[in-house]
Amino acid sequence: MKIAVIDADPIVRDFVVGTLMYSVNRDVLPFENGLDAWMHFEDDGVPDIIVADVNLEDITGTELLDKVKGLKRDTVVIFYSDLLEKEAMVKEAGADAFLAKPFGVTELFSLVQQFVVDGR
Amino acid sequence: MIRLGAEPSKMREIELDDVFISRLQLLIIMSKAYLSGYPLGRHRIKSILENANHVKLEAVGLEEDLEWFKKDMAFNDTLGFDSAFYQRVKLLSVMAEAIAKGYDLENHKKEALEKNLNALCESITFNKQVSDMQFLKVA
Repeated sequence: MKIAVIDADPIVRDFVVGTLMYSVNRDVLPFENGLDAWMHFEDDGVPDIIVADVNLEDITGTELLDKVKGLKRDTVVIFYSDLLEKEAMVKEAGADAFLAKPFGVTELFSLVQQFVVDGR
Repeated sequence: MIRLGAEPSKMREIELDDVFISRLQLLIIMSKAYLSGYPLGRHRIKSILENANHVKLEAVGLEEDLEWFKKDMAFNDTLGFDSAFYQRVKLLSVMAEAIAKGYDLENHKKEALEKNLNALCESITFNKQVSDMQFLKVA
């Protein structure tokens, strides 16, 4: 089980990485931008779960979603944002889940339960 | 698409105080899982150490802000906790570090940890039970 988190904000990114790492007791890959993450995925394979801020500076959330699903269709892609219009956008694009900011440990644990334990 | 998190009308950026409270909640869950005998693993240990360190540093900063608040009433303490709360947070972070480093806590220390957890949960009105998170039973 490989999980990656992409967010330019280190405070939120480190919190999400730490919570997921504790939950699944596996390493979680942190990336601060979408292109670095994408280059890593091309070289080392696409993770099973990607959790990303929609507002990536170098690639839009929907572009990343298209690229990822094009390479590995069953990868679970979860986006988060504080903007309602972004929620509609990623829903339309086919994201598996959306986390509305602000979120905390309860929501991240729910994601682990649904996508890691239950495998939905 | 699954939707979790804030209601549409309450969506906003995550502030530093949000992250502090979320990290504190995570540390409480980590400690409760230890008291319940749930297994640790290499990555969980790393995660506990990092989280305990974050929470401890932030608690020190917030307690200093509180001292400043007492001297200058114009300063706005956003979280509104008292000094005893931050002392409890620092104690929890030290105990969590000890757990992650593999120190075997004697019964009276486990009782002290539980008492501290209960007081903190009451302060931040947090009542999540580790029994709700079955995946923590698997290392």
